[in-house]
Amino acid sequence: MHDFEAHVQAVDEDLEYYRTKRFEPRVVNTIRRGRITFYDLLSAFQPAATPPQEGDLEQRIRALEDRLDEYVKGIGLTGTSDFVIEDGRKERGDYDEWFRFAKRHPQGTLEERVAALAQELEEQMAVLQAFTAALIENGRLTEQDLAYRRERAQAGPWNGAKIVARAWVDPEFKERLIATGRQAVRELDIPPGRLGKLGVAEDTENVHNVVVCTLCSCYPHDLLGDTPWWYKHDSYKQRIVRDPRGTLREMFDLDLPQSTEIHVHDSTSDIRWMVLPQRPAGTESMSEDQLAELVTRDCLIGVALPGVPAKIA
Amino acid sequence: MPDHRFRVGDRVRVLEANPSGNPRTPVHLRGKTGTIVELCGTMENPLDHRDVYPPLCKVEFAIREVFGTDSPDKLFADIHEEWLSYADGEPREA
Repeated sequence: MHDFEAHVQAVDEDLEYYRTKRFEPRVVNTIRRGRITFYDLLSAFQPAATPPQEGDLEQRIRALEDRLDEYVKGIGLTGTSDFVIEDGRKERGDYDEWFRFAKRHPQGTLEERVAALAQELEEQMAVLQAFTAALIENGRLTEQDLAYRRERAQAGPWNGAKIVARAWVDPEFKERLIATGRQAVRELDIPPGRLGKLGVAEDTENVHNVVVCTLCSCYPHDLLGDTPWWYKHDSYKQRIVRDPRGTLREMFDLDLPQSTEIHVHDSTSDIRWMVLPQRPAGTESMSEDQLAELVTRDCLIGVALPGVPAKIA
Repeated sequence: MPDHRFRVGDRVRVLEANPSGNPRTPVHLRGKTGTIVELCGTMENPLDHRDVYPPLCKVEFAIREVFGTDSPDKLFADIHEEWLSYADGEPREA
């Protein structure tokens, strides 16, 4: 990590996004539908603790990112019926500043902003915990549901690896995957999701694929889990279409030979792309489960090769 | 499945503007010329869309032509037919 500023800004923006788009609308809707009351929420509330500020700046930023991850996953666990609030013109403030979803972005030095964000995250976690507790108290959610969802959520990012490993060992599955997308995924007992069609871009000897969504951050996230922070960032989105070779080299330490042609797939919502990387040489004796461990989230976007960890600037 | 207007291999130009069309056509591709490499049919995307959009085509662009750089690599985007026109004029029926 050398660009601390980008990491801190990404946490700041993601926290705002998940709070205003995923969490607060869910709380309001749950109250409006009479599943819990505002009083229930306040009764379950425990004030936030002061977050520890340990280690150097990099460690504190990493801690911030981990905590944000817990927050995002925790929101996912509270869903009774999933919905996303559209980013409407009204709440973007196009008509009137007053309607804009607002956040007090912390000011000051990087250290001060990290500390302020850590505090804000703890406060948001306290609200989330109160909401979860109120749902349980009112019988809208059980501890068993939570445990089940937690397990499912953890299995999320590995779905992609399971799909890739099966495609490596079973050429007929690979053909079905490329031809039918989500249909084929059902064979692996993976819930296929329903966000558009799944496009599978297969790497070959001469072609390396990489995925981006220049318009927003489209991705088959219902199937493959959330994207890394840089996927939503202009530093990635604007550069990768213009200069994929240089972007992969400079942002991800992935230096592809001149003989490899790079294909950039720009997702426009209807088709959500994943990369099917090539099976690394020397893995002939490995089992399907062992192969799956070589495949990371970054491999499925095309910024890393299996077995070779990506290095993000 | 409704019929596609275009065929694989057709050279197409993305319109500069299409106010009534799907807004999800990347700005940097508008006015650019590419080649149809796949016909995707009509997508149903009930979470994202208001209505059914026209058939979707996968179009290949040379990054060199889109951005005027010397990149040897390619860009692919899925674009609705309402955003596309023939780059070399309407083809004559054979």
